[in-house]
Amino acid sequence: MNKLLFFTAFIIFSLQAFSQKKTVKKTGILFTNIANGKRVVPADSKYSNAFGESYTITKFRYYISNLHFITDKPSAAVKNTFLADAAKENKFILKKPAGKIKGISFLLGVDSLLNSSGAQSGALDPLNDMFWTWNSGYVMFKLEGKSDSSTADLQRIEQHIGGYKDPYKTMRQIDLYFKKGMPKNVIVQLDLDKYWNGIHKIHIARSPLITSIGEDAVRSADNFVGMFSVIE
Amino acid sequence: MLISAGKGWHGPTPTPLKIPVGFPKPPTDIFKTNPLTEEGFQLGKKLFYDGGLSKDGEISCGSCHQPFAAFSTYDHDLSHGVKNSFSTRNAPALINLAWMRDLHWDGGINHIEVQPLFPLTAPNEMGMRLDSIMIHLKRDTAYRRMFRNAFGDANISSERMLKALAQFTGSLVSADSKYDKVKRGEATFIEPEKKGYELFKANCNTCHREPLFTDNDFHNNGMSLNRFKDNGRQGISLKRTDSLKFKVPTLRNIALTIPYMHDGRIATLDMVMDHYTSLDTGLVALDPLLRHKITMTPKEKKQLVFFLYTLTDTAFTRNKRYAP
Repeated sequence: MNKLLFFTAFIIFSLQAFSQKKTVKKTGILFTNIANGKRVVPADSKYSNAFGESYTITKFRYYISNLHFITDKPSAAVKNTFLADAAKENKFILKKPAGKIKGISFLLGVDSLLNSSGAQSGALDPLNDMFWTWNSGYVMFKLEGKSDSSTADLQRIEQHIGGYKDPYKTMRQIDLYFKKGMPKNVIVQLDLDKYWNGIHKIHIARSPLITSIGEDAVRSADNFVGMFSVIE
Repeated sequence: MLISAGKGWHGPTPTPLKIPVGFPKPPTDIFKTNPLTEEGFQLGKKLFYDGGLSKDGEISCGSCHQPFAAFSTYDHDLSHGVKNSFSTRNAPALINLAWMRDLHWDGGINHIEVQPLFPLTAPNEMGMRLDSIMIHLKRDTAYRRMFRNAFGDANISSERMLKALAQFTGSLVSADSKYDKVKRGEATFIEPEKKGYELFKANCNTCHREPLFTDNDFHNNGMSLNRFKDNGRQGISLKRTDSLKFKVPTLRNIALTIPYMHDGRIATLDMVMDHYTSLDTGLVALDPLLRHKITMTPKEKKQLVFFLYTLTDTAFTRNKRYAP
């Protein structure tokens, strides 16, 4: 009998804890990708960059980590990792923090620690094909496709941008502020046009393949920052 | 609440790494996030010797890392991969890896757990896709049981596979050679070994630092660029000053790991002695430590080789616990 009472109390307590937990507000952040003003759909459309180089996309993935809202209050560091994949819907769920929300912050890529922590799972599972096996580290941003302008075999484009150690770091901090307050649906938009035509001009004809760490990868990473905006 | 593997199951049996007498603490504790257990070790051993992890079903990790050769490939300059392919480097011995940093000849691997991803998937090694390996493991009832015993449930993931492999390879400890016995006062060197040890301390000890017989660093020891244009460490760091630098291999069990150097270009230990005494000390990129000409008489070279033979640890190579 005692046991039963204890058990009932435990259930009630658990239910309460559960319902309290439910009151924590969560919200999804949608990441979308565009090129030439159109939504990027792998293997479906043809795009062109500012230099008149046309291309198709077969694969487009990138890491978003430490994704959190910027508020007017100091907050604890957020640790999370998401793999955005243009072939899927990319809605990442966050807890809504207390205080006035001013914007959104994340790292494009994953930090040094995660690049050197051994075998991992989830977004960081090497099965996602985003890990370099010969020079350990994650590919932060991976764009694959074809282009008539490519001088590579089979006119391939492979932009595998990675590197987590100085001077070839490729992860980039992105902070986006809301101009008119937090929108009902937070949508972060990546504009691929700005990948090619950003601080640096990346011509497909000149660098169709970037598949290791180095100066080319850093130039690409420098362009990451200008690719993102929030839709308001 | 954690899901247990069955009634009366109290989790895997912890088997912490024993630090041999005289060994330093490992630079990082590779088992901190991967607690070493008997069940994890046994699973790692099964994976290590499983040819099913390769594309043609024939080549296991153990094919190129043979126990009797201190887990190197005996008498092969390069290793054989699937479909009669060849690797471009000499298979390194797997010895005291728990004390090593930056694995591979070029140090490209930053953690023992992610090392197997390279040989498993390289087309000239095991040539397998990671997702195919997962299918192979999930199909096998013995694997399902062993994953459950090692990790508490039957979930088979790449992370668990890699952690289990690291439990096996990280447990390969060699510390019972004649050299170790002499250090522990259980044996004495014969005269040529003793002379050889003096020569070793005078000429080799900086890079091949005791008791691990490596400084865990990269040096240019005068190897010319090979046909694969293998620039060693430079390929990883992109620093020109790292040109033709390679990881210093341990000298433990060195007599069993013929041939020598990153591409197995030197056939015997006697010829290695000749390499170091005939080095062109004016080579531009040569390590500063080798600028000072090493001179040894033929007799002294023999004595040094005698000493190197005392680093052979048959208790290690014949250890049944490591055998398939």
